[in-house]
Amino acid sequence: MWFLLMLVILLTNGMSAFGLKMIAGWGLPETVKYPYLTVWYAGGLAAIALPMLLKGMRFGKTELFWGGVAGALSIGGQIAMAVALSSGVPGHVVFPIAIGGSIFVVALAGRLIFGERMNPPTALGLALGFVAVVLVGLS
Amino acid sequence: MSLSFCFLGAISFGLLGTALKAAERRKANAAGLVVSAYAWPALLMLVRTLLLKPGGHVPAKVYVIAVIFGICAAVASLAFQVSISIGKVTVGWLMMNLSAGIPVVVSVWMYHEKLNLLKVAALGLVLVSIVFLFWGQVVEKRVIGRNPAGRE
Repeated sequence: MWFLLMLVILLTNGMSAFGLKMIAGWGLPETVKYPYLTVWYAGGLAAIALPMLLKGMRFGKTELFWGGVAGALSIGGQIAMAVALSSGVPGHVVFPIAIGGSIFVVALAGRLIFGERMNPPTALGLALGFVAVVLVGLS
Repeated sequence: MSLSFCFLGAISFGLLGTALKAAERRKANAAGLVVSAYAWPALLMLVRTLLLKPGGHVPAKVYVIAVIFGICAAVASLAFQVSISIGKVTVGWLMMNLSAGIPVVVSVWMYHEKLNLLKVAALGLVLVSIVFLFWGQVVEKRVIGRNPAGRE
């Protein structure tokens, strides 16, 4: 189950941002990204909400609160990166710091708050993955 | 000063991963959480779109790919949220970020972008890292199998 979930994350999350690149490739104006992102979020929302409704599942205050926190932090991160980029910091500096740094924060929280312990192969995989993500950001 | 916004971005995204794990610990329903997490930005983007000057034509193909890739993103978010209930948040978060290698490969194939040494090294490391992470999971399963109380 875990392996399948990791493969799903790898493929679907990887492709999820590809649309903006396709739009750029079509030479459409910059403002197109707003209706694009509206439908992008709405499509994702519907894909999860419809099966939930059909199954009669409900969500309460916990989901609403943590979903709001997640949304705010996501938007906060995007704005911080956009400000850094617009104030002249090159993309090959912004992306590795923001993405690599976020992994460091999550790893720290995983250890200190959630008590996660790593066996040697996982720790090595994390270290190599950290470098890989920074290199992908640089490239 | 400008560089500090990069670190602010890192902290913000890092706290996002941490908040999602905290929600899981509080037994938040994974699908409900994803729905809530997508509803807020959808609303914000809708407002931003409505504030655009009228008259700009948006081709239908933009909406088609928006739906396809939006579904991809939501499925990824749901898979991540489910994965952190059975595995480590750090590994799940790393996998979310390692997935940045996929569009690099697709771009090379679709747009014939050149593969330089840096990209090859990055993609190679992505693969090696995944192998080690999967190996680590196999090792952990064996340990848990021998000692079920040893689970985190």
